[in-house]
Amino acid sequence: MREALSIWFFAGLLFSIYGFIITGTGLWELGHPLLHPPVLNSLHAPIWWGGLMLVAGLAYLIRFWPRKLR
Amino acid sequence: MQLLPGQLVALFAGPVTKHLAHLDAVDVAVIAIYFGIVIFIGFYLKGSSNTSEEFFMAGREMTAWIAGLSFVSANLGSLELMGWAGSAYQYGILATHWYWIGAIPAMLFLGIIMMPFYYISKTHSVPGYLHLRYGDGARALSAVSFAFMTVLMSGINMYSMALVMKVVLGWNLNFSIWVSSITVALYVALGGLRSAIFNEVLQFLLIWLGALLVPILGLIEAGGWTKLKAQILTNVGNTQYVHMWSGLGHFKDNPMGVHWTGIVFGLGLVISFGYWTTDFLVVQRVLSAHNLRSARMAPIIGAGFKMAVPFIVILPGLLALSVLPFHLVGETQAVATGQHSYNEVLPLMLVRYCGPGLLGLGVTALIAGFMSGMAGNVSAFSTVWTYDIYGAFLNKKASDSHYVSMGRWCTFIGVLISVGTAYLVQHAASIMDYVQSLFSFFIAPLFGTVILGMLWKRATKAGGFWGLLAGTTTAIGLWAWVHNDPRALRYVALSPDAKAMAEDLYRALWSWLVCVIVTVIVSYMTAPRPVAELEGLVYGASPIPEEHDEHWYQKPIVWAGVIATLFIILNIIFW
Repeated sequence: MREALSIWFFAGLLFSIYGFIITGTGLWELGHPLLHPPVLNSLHAPIWWGGLMLVAGLAYLIRFWPRKLR
Repeated sequence: MQLLPGQLVALFAGPVTKHLAHLDAVDVAVIAIYFGIVIFIGFYLKGSSNTSEEFFMAGREMTAWIAGLSFVSANLGSLELMGWAGSAYQYGILATHWYWIGAIPAMLFLGIIMMPFYYISKTHSVPGYLHLRYGDGARALSAVSFAFMTVLMSGINMYSMALVMKVVLGWNLNFSIWVSSITVALYVALGGLRSAIFNEVLQFLLIWLGALLVPILGLIEAGGWTKLKAQILTNVGNTQYVHMWSGLGHFKDNPMGVHWTGIVFGLGLVISFGYWTTDFLVVQRVLSAHNLRSARMAPIIGAGFKMAVPFIVILPGLLALSVLPFHLVGETQAVATGQHSYNEVLPLMLVRYCGPGLLGLGVTALIAGFMSGMAGNVSAFSTVWTYDIYGAFLNKKASDSHYVSMGRWCTFIGVLISVGTAYLVQHAASIMDYVQSLFSFFIAPLFGTVILGMLWKRATKAGGFWGLLAGTTTAIGLWAWVHNDPRALRYVALSPDAKAMAEDLYRALWSWLVCVIVTVIVSYMTAPRPVAELEGLVYGASPIPEEHDEHWYQKPIVWAGVIATLFIILNIIFW
């Protein structure tokens, strides 16, 4: 038996998935430039913004992973 | 009429218009994952919403942080996000008043002064408190008006979001309306308030993640705050777009056509306190806290986050004044000329800075804003209907499980009425203005009734009812007067230079004053209730439970002081 899932666990899960997808998209765009890039595309926002989300998401996921009930 | 599968597909097919942005597969995946998780949360929490206390009050088990984030998130609907970003483009930084003086003092007052009475009375709702304090008349008036207006406002929110999605992404209106509303109905009906609160916290975080890049990248593009102000001055030719108070000395001196008395007394004292302390949509979130200290801290935590919201709502509107290569116009002109309207400023800025993946995240933030607003509306509607109308007047002796079942069905019915309102607005846009005005009729007088009930032992049952009725009638009367004769605005708002926004502020102030005066007069003419009957309901007649905080920094009053100081500093900086 494990404790109930916390809201912060769900937040960590969602951030991790989004971080992974968005960072991956940003890295892909390095080798495959967009036909119609957005303004300030040279700053590569998907890589650092997605990376931040991934790190924060993983931290929450680990911190709030449901523990076994004694 | 039965639709064939092909016809059904056609009903939801898009795009239907020329649109601004195209979503890639990765954007669609980001949006789909969000929908998957919110529905999963609904199913996951279904098992913990079996009793009425669990379904309507989330078992009163929420921590201060969860209740506080949910409190502020339930207010952060699509109208709030996109509408105020549009207002910032239209009126400049003055729109921030609706986030700062129009919210922060009231939230702190709720936490420090009012919450003990709501909490120790163990009421399930604001109309429920009126029942305990004033009896059934005031409860019925407040419950019926709240339930009716809540679902109508929810429909307007829904239509606003669907319209922007249509213009920016080319999504079909039917698709946006039905998919998002069915999702909300499902997770609220399954998991009750607990599910709504869980999702609101998630939605609040998503709104920040999806929208925060716009001001960051926008400030980089504009070259910082100082250069942004200079560019706005060049483009607009009015220095008042970046000052909050210095142009409020006269109605003519600012783009909104308001006066500081309207902002301070109408907005800061009446509308704000009315909304944040008596609108059950937000108060319900705080009532779910697991103890009195958490219930007091929740609005204070919410106030801290609320103070930061202009960064993702108002700043994008200001940035658009500087960086967008075209001008935005009012909704009517946009429909006639094919230009973009003020309300589209936030999605337009998202499209400007966000490529694949990030655009999906930004669109998810807008959808999350809509869903949190709608879930707040329908969960509050189902509670007020079940406790304060159905359980109070129609079926007083039903079992607990019957009321839970009624709550679940009400959630679906509330969503259906909202959808109906959205379609009504689609065919008669003027209804939107009427409903928004109607909503404002009830908020200001209700605050007069509740605050007198909490702070004044002498207020009587008849005083509460007649005061509320007189205040509401005054608001309706003033609105009808200006609606039929626009020249009357000079009398309602005290100046021939006042504009529409000023009317709302002064109408609220007058209706609140009438409510207070009538309540006081009628109360003195009628017999008061014995003080013993007022225990737990009124200041001076109720011992407030003592809180034992281990450290000084755990006291709610300390954090309220920190937030109040920040609030004053920010107003001085942007004076």
